[in-house]
Amino acid sequence: MSGNLSRPLLVRHARLRWDDRRGQHQLVFPEGMLVLNESGAAIVRLCDGRTVAELVAALSQSFSDVPLAGDVTVFLDRLAQKGLLRDANT
Amino acid sequence: MTPTPRPLCLLAELTYRCPLKCPYCSNPLELRRYRDEMVTTTWQRVLSEAAALGVVQVHFSGGEPLLRRDLHDLIRSARRLDLYTHLSTGATLADEATFERLRSAGLDAVQISLLDVRPSQNDWLAGAASFDKKRRAVEAARQCEFPVTLNVVLHRHNLDRIQEIVELAVQWRVNRLELAHVQYVGWAFRNRAALLPTKEQVERAERVVARARALCEAQLEIVHVLPDYFQQYPKACLHGWGQTFLTVAPDGAVLPCQAAREIPGLTFPNVCDVALADIWFEAPVFQRFRGESWMSEPCRSCERRDLDFGGCRCQAFLLTGDIAATDPVCHLSPVHELVELALRESTAGKIAFRTMPPDGSRPAIPD
Repeated sequence: MSGNLSRPLLVRHARLRWDDRRGQHQLVFPEGMLVLNESGAAIVRLCDGRTVAELVAALSQSFSDVPLAGDVTVFLDRLAQKGLLRDANT
Repeated sequence: MTPTPRPLCLLAELTYRCPLKCPYCSNPLELRRYRDEMVTTTWQRVLSEAAALGVVQVHFSGGEPLLRRDLHDLIRSARRLDLYTHLSTGATLADEATFERLRSAGLDAVQISLLDVRPSQNDWLAGAASFDKKRRAVEAARQCEFPVTLNVVLHRHNLDRIQEIVELAVQWRVNRLELAHVQYVGWAFRNRAALLPTKEQVERAERVVARARALCEAQLEIVHVLPDYFQQYPKACLHGWGQTFLTVAPDGAVLPCQAAREIPGLTFPNVCDVALADIWFEAPVFQRFRGESWMSEPCRSCERRDLDFGGCRCQAFLLTGDIAATDPVCHLSPVHELVELALRESTAGKIAFRTMPPDGSRPAIPD
């Protein structure tokens, strides 16, 4: 699966959770998981079918040091390549 | 000494009962000795202790976990604890209604075993007419929008059909195809001579999978677990003993590895007697192969010792009689010729199928 989703949506079988024991955000999926930092978790939380532009705008309200739009796209592409995002339009 | 990490993954073997007779089953050979199954409330306590310990993913497995009538309750409990839940099933007992109930209980992902792409071969190896049931179960699981992994264990009798296996996985529209060569422990060790493929088979299969992976990338994730008997170095078994995995057997025995149960000299604490966290951090059987101090040469001074951790402990025991030996599949092992000998002596010989305890021994499972 390639990136460039216009409206990224977290796939149903991927779940964002907070691991209290380890003090980390985790994106869990069959047979694997990614450990995310605060901004990564915030981005995943916003993958609800809104546009990437809307996502970046919403992100800037939560973070003073806003991740650059380019960085967000790279991160989204990485998740899409792992099959963790789909386009809400399709 | 680095601190002991918390486990990420729990294999919950709910029962050793199973309608299938796969000759490479990972359950113990002496199934008759392990008839007891924990009741629902004990399993729920195990799940809760596992979550508190740091477990993230739970695999409900068996035997056939669908034989447990409380499976839905256990999945529901696991989800309430925010655990990610998998079901590993032979799927002969599952229809669409089954998967709908599992979906509403909160199950996250499904793994279905297939023995061969040819129905007659599948049914022969499984010891039961099961191909059509598996096909319908995959379809039903997809209908219920589960991510489905199709798991095919590879050996001499199906390796030449690996191309057809990949095509079937695409046709059945599964998300993942796990092509895992037999690990020669337990039942598979008993059947080793009849299951070991030839070097030519293995190399051809590797080429086919590499090509298929490039072609199917967009629609199917292919995981290929190579046969360690043919590799230069051993596998990083369990990512290290007592590092990320633990298994709880049907009767509550807690094992670092599901295949370790029948190794003489190891004592496994039971979760009915001891708290799971105490077992994980303190039990001698979990401590035994943590770190490097247990290693002898050639592992002790090997630069790969923190990559493969000396390989598989069960395999070391089965091949050498010494559980602390270097895994003999490593070409540096002083007894590596044992592996070469096994490869030379493999034939399409007689297979011993997994046998069940007599029916009368079935424990009562509370509703």
